[in-house]
Amino acid sequence: MTILHAENVSFDIAGRSLVSNIDLACESGQFVALLGANGAGKSTLIRMLSGLERPSRGQVRLDARPIRAIDRRVLARRRAYIPQNARVEWPVAVERLVALGLMPQLPVFGDLDRAAWRKVEAALALCDLSHKTGQPATTLSGGELARAMLARALVGEPEIVVADEPLSGLDPRHAMDGVVRLAALARDGRLVIASIHDLTLAARYATHVAIMRGGRLLAYGPTASTLTSSRISAAFDVDACVQGTGAQAIVDFIARPDQPALHPFPGLVPA
Amino acid sequence: MVRLRQDPMPLMLALLLATAGASLVIGKVWLPPVMLFDGLAAPKPNLAWVIVTELRIPRTVLALMVGATLGLGGAVLQGLLRNPLAEPGLLGVSGGAALGAVIAIYFGLAARFALATPLLGIAGALVAGALTFLFGRSGTLTLILAGSAVSGLAAAGLALALNFAPSPYAAYEITTWLLGSVAEKEWRQIALCTPFVLAGWLCLAATPHGLDALTLGEAQAESLGVNLNRLRVLALAGVAFSVGAATAMAGAIGFVGLVAPHLVRPFVGYRPSRILLPSAVFGALLLLVTDIAIRVIPTSTELKLGVLTSLIGTPFFFWLVLRLRRMSP
Amino acid sequence: MTTPRKNELSLKAASVCRRLACLPLMCLLLPACAGPATGTEGLPSDGASSGALPAPVAVRKPTRIMSMMLCNDVLLLMMVPRDRIASITYLAHDAVEALLPGADTGVAVNHGTAEEILLQKPDLILAGTDSAPMARKLAKAVGARVVEVGAANSFADIRRVVRQVGMAVGEPGQAHALLAEMDRKLAWLASHQPARPLRVVAWSGSQAVPGKGTLTNEIIAASGADNIAARLPDSRYGSFGLEELLAARPDAILQGETRWSGPSLQDAQSMHPLIERYWRGRRIGYPDAAYACGLPQSADAAIALRNLYRELPVGRPRW
Repeated sequence: MTILHAENVSFDIAGRSLVSNIDLACESGQFVALLGANGAGKSTLIRMLSGLERPSRGQVRLDARPIRAIDRRVLARRRAYIPQNARVEWPVAVERLVALGLMPQLPVFGDLDRAAWRKVEAALALCDLSHKTGQPATTLSGGELARAMLARALVGEPEIVVADEPLSGLDPRHAMDGVVRLAALARDGRLVIASIHDLTLAARYATHVAIMRGGRLLAYGPTASTLTSSRISAAFDVDACVQGTGAQAIVDFIARPDQPALHPFPGLVPA
Repeated sequence: MVRLRQDPMPLMLALLLATAGASLVIGKVWLPPVMLFDGLAAPKPNLAWVIVTELRIPRTVLALMVGATLGLGGAVLQGLLRNPLAEPGLLGVSGGAALGAVIAIYFGLAARFALATPLLGIAGALVAGALTFLFGRSGTLTLILAGSAVSGLAAAGLALALNFAPSPYAAYEITTWLLGSVAEKEWRQIALCTPFVLAGWLCLAATPHGLDALTLGEAQAESLGVNLNRLRVLALAGVAFSVGAATAMAGAIGFVGLVAPHLVRPFVGYRPSRILLPSAVFGALLLLVTDIAIRVIPTSTELKLGVLTSLIGTPFFFWLVLRLRRMSP
Repeated sequence: MTTPRKNELSLKAASVCRRLACLPLMCLLLPACAGPATGTEGLPSDGASSGALPAPVAVRKPTRIMSMMLCNDVLLLMMVPRDRIASITYLAHDAVEALLPGADTGVAVNHGTAEEILLQKPDLILAGTDSAPMARKLAKAVGARVVEVGAANSFADIRRVVRQVGMAVGEPGQAHALLAEMDRKLAWLASHQPARPLRVVAWSGSQAVPGKGTLTNEIIAASGADNIAARLPDSRYGSFGLEELLAARPDAILQGETRWSGPSLQDAQSMHPLIERYWRGRRIGYPDAAYACGLPQSADAAIALRNLYRELPVGRPRW
């Protein structure tokens, strides 16, 4: 059982506070969906949870040890991180890209052995990319690249997967596939933390949700009890209606009558 | 272009060996191979022996060393900065080396003892590298900007030296030195620079792991356990020592560091770690061939190495730009 | 005796030309005027006719002479008393120290700028090919005469230039005397060839080795040795690397010693270990000053070289 605990963490930069006093504890088996409007501080919190950013105040502990104190390579074996809009810089083959995820495990010199290649193939199969072997990664579509990055994260069999907006820019089918995979990982016993904008998918598949606004944590808990209409209104400034639970959950957005969208040119009364 | 052809290294090494052999035979004074062999067998010293051991071998060794350094440095920097236009001079180290060497010439230190030029050149390179590191260590972009600033500073110093040159002849000499040459350098100078070059190579040889991880960008590379700060320091130190020493010996030689990695990529793929050694070998080959060309092309005034590499390299630059334009929108 | 008559003819021609010298146009004719009258054969013997100089003519000699070229500076100092010199170039000091120590004490210095021409108000400007255009433009403003003196790359050139300057400053007699001395020395050199044929080269690094058409070549030829760089095909200052040097194995290598300015890389390169090793005792230093400017002292340089040849070891350099 792995416990990742953010103890009253804050992050300030250039006089602004991006994250204020967030206390959050997650454990294996959970799929935590991090929700919040743009600019709520999700990316910053995710970076702190992965151990890549040092909090200005407070600290993040992985199994009671400060995460920044853990050796980088040891941490890299236990935790995988996928940033927002992950890009690939050189046209390397897809399987090579995925194989980079094994870097913390492998010795510095020498190429991958057969066991390693088997893991790569398994990861590719898991993410439905086996048919793309040999293709340069720069020629993949957005969804395929997102899947490749996920495969890269999974090939090392980490205990924790932290992803920043892994579904952004994906079409409905691929977005659904992606979130289904993440949920399956959690069921397998891993801890998955991902920031998601699609509230319906979060409602259906996440085990827990953490709702942020303005750098603060509004709520954290199991999805069914935490993801309510009032909380969504408070966090997103939209009226929402949460219907159903579990795999049938739907989050509907209701436009407010006085919302600017109905009057495109303020002051201009339609004829 | 991911299809991996056969490993080109054996072929390149064979070519390198053959070119090195050619370099020992070709020179302004035509020594028929028969005479060379006789010279090696006959009691030394004799003309063939002296020319080969004192002039052609050091020239070949230096060309190989400088070419390999530039190729390796270029490959590492292109991998570190994820930019196909990166080259060893970007971090300001070549400018610093040139300025150090020109200072040695300008103040007459080079006249008093022969090792002054490479020594001050290396010192200049290290100072420039330290400055770049001091200002630019926090990130990749700041590193590039700091390197540009230091290059600018060195260029200003060089312009100042030319402006206040004590005589037109001194100005001519400074300019000629800057054009780059591996000819007629002493063994002592080469011996002085070799440890620095090797130290630089060692630093650069520790980077391939991290460079591969950078294929995914800095955030993911960090999450994979790569210490980005250490990687930058290794790259900078490696370039400062090796490229600095090479420039202190041979002057400013451009384009080899830019061109060599590009020309090996179609053969070894795009993984940064796999490009390092082939770039070094290809850079050495490129520079040695250019140096041989200099000896063969009939000119009344000696053609300088840096001039020929520029003449050959610039069209390549155009081709590279056109290719990038075609590939990306 | 034909010689003194030729002499008188030459002097008469010189005085005629001098009379016409106040017309700027005639400056251009001066070399042509002086040239044919004195050929290079039948040089006067020592002191025979140097006393028979006509008195200066009615034309005023220039009293504020400004020299804007290094070589002219030295000639000027040799021919004219200091109080008639407005200024010489700032570069002259080192050369003068080498050739005529102390001759430039108290002489003002110019940097070749327009302001100085206007300030010093010379009545004669001795300019080189580079400074002549500017000098001509400003000469009208100050009422000066401009004489453009070309470079001297051979002894024939030296004669032409010395006469030209002598005419311009109003001291043809001085010019004549200097040339007479020079020609005497050259004649001596020509009639006393060195004991054995020598091959030399002026080598201080593979750039700029003086070959055919340079003053250094002429001096070496006058000293009776063979300049191997003169065989290079085209340019006057060609490149001649160490390999060629080793293959050619000259008996001696000339290296410039007294520098006008600070030392430069050339010095280090000329001390390449190979030169140190194989030409030990065969390196001849020479003062740059006498070889860069065509001056009557160039004959002295040739004589100095000849004297040094005697001290060279016998035989070619050995490996």
